[in-house]
Amino acid sequence: MVEDFLSDAEIKRKQTKHRINVHSLQLAVAVALLGSWQILADKKILDPFFYGRPSGVMHQLGVWIQHGTSIGSIWVNAWVTLYEATYGFLAGVILGIIFGVFLARNPTAAEIFAPYIKVSNSIPRVVLGSIFVLWLGLGSISKVALAFVLVFFPVFFNAFQGTREADNKLIANARLLGASKRQVTTKIVFPSALSWITASMHVSFGFALIGAIVGEFLGAQRGLGLLIATAQGNFNPNGVYAAMLLIAIMALTAEWLITKLEDRLLKWRPTQVSGTEH
Amino acid sequence: MSKGVHVKFSNVSKRFRTPKGDWYQALKELNFEIQRGEFVALVGPTGCGKSTALTLLAGLEQSSIGEVSVDGTAVKDIDIRTGFVFQHDATFPWMSVANNVGAGPKFRGLDPKEYRPLVQKWIAKVGLVGFEKHYPHQLSGGMKKRVALAQALINEPQLLLMDEPFSALDVQTRSIMTDELMALWETTGSTVLFVTHDLEEAIALADRVIVLTAGPAQVKADFKIELARPRKAREIRFTEEFLKIYQNIWEVLRDEVDIAYQRQLIAPSEK
Repeated sequence: MVEDFLSDAEIKRKQTKHRINVHSLQLAVAVALLGSWQILADKKILDPFFYGRPSGVMHQLGVWIQHGTSIGSIWVNAWVTLYEATYGFLAGVILGIIFGVFLARNPTAAEIFAPYIKVSNSIPRVVLGSIFVLWLGLGSISKVALAFVLVFFPVFFNAFQGTREADNKLIANARLLGASKRQVTTKIVFPSALSWITASMHVSFGFALIGAIVGEFLGAQRGLGLLIATAQGNFNPNGVYAAMLLIAIMALTAEWLITKLEDRLLKWRPTQVSGTEH
Repeated sequence: MSKGVHVKFSNVSKRFRTPKGDWYQALKELNFEIQRGEFVALVGPTGCGKSTALTLLAGLEQSSIGEVSVDGTAVKDIDIRTGFVFQHDATFPWMSVANNVGAGPKFRGLDPKEYRPLVQKWIAKVGLVGFEKHYPHQLSGGMKKRVALAQALINEPQLLLMDEPFSALDVQTRSIMTDELMALWETTGSTVLFVTHDLEEAIALADRVIVLTAGPAQVKADFKIELARPRKAREIRFTEEFLKIYQNIWEVLRDEVDIAYQRQLIAPSEK
């Protein structure tokens, strides 16, 4: 038989076609879901007073953008929530890495702290939000603190485990090449724990947003959480959805940035082989 | 370089705890010496404790009884004058080829301006020019081994320890690497202890072949290999002289291999 591979142009055409198909079906799902919601609400099968409707959500967003919200500009409120989450996230990631790597490299210290870590991890951390509001007041700091405790533990555990799993052979090799204990930690152990750490960062930005928003539910002067709580109090489901939409945009943007960062930090990793011939 | 004893194992015994909690004895009253500048191959059946001897000499582990000494001083910890090439890939996956090769000088706190030309020189010596910016996962097994060799040799170790360095390679690459190692070693003159279970490789490379018994390892026999240097490992193995040496050593080694194999059959779960 004569060898007759597909030409590059043909393969490309096939792939493009596949992509267009997937995207149009994805769009169709969204249209079907939102469309039926809108129709059911318009026909009063779903009571728009309780369930809201897509057009109402868009209207609500338009009002917030043009005239501001009852608690000030929508951008200011979104910004407050974003920076509370971001500060909590950064603090949690940095301290989580430092403690995780330190304890994994110092087995005696790890043994001493193990029961305390277990206990503090078993506390449902959202409850701490109330304590933080009492201690730190209604301002942003209490929200940053709640976001921090939510982020700290997953990052800490991953950094700890990643450090423990560092290849002994690589550590031995580095020591034979002249690395000090500190160099082994920074040049060998930390890079090998990085894929564990970045994996935990993906979930933990979500936790940071939860921390900021729950903190705002519990008592705040500004923020999307307060906006949601206010909308709930006013029986305004569209307001709740509109704020949710903004939060989703933040979470997706953060996820995209973390993926970029991960690709940069882990560029030495073999790329996943994908996309065989269709 | 002055001659004389470089490495000495005196009555070295080593035991380990097995995961089951029993003791496993790897070495038993092991005694041998290596002269400075000598290339010695340690051969023995699988699991006999060859690698253990190396880790003691490298300072990665301590002997239970007896003493391992380098230049008359007992080995208590890692000595950076000793180089080590591992059986499996131990290059740092997050460092480029150039950074892997330069890792030793960097760890030792040398000035990058000083060691960068050295890195380039060693990359050229092991034939990896053009791959400086590649990461290990982008290289073949043989290329990774070359990185590992350059990484160890750039520090000009007085003592080079190699733990079955080529055993993970395919047969063709392996014979090429044997030749390349030979050529590199002939320019450095360092003392080498090379652990292998491949007798051909051992004879082709070494000045002396030490045969160990099935574990716990003791020296069973010690052969001087009087083949002329420089050797071409790929061709030498077809000469009559080579075959004769091979036969002599194999006679001795075979019994130990049988013993080790029988044990595996009796206790398949134990290692």
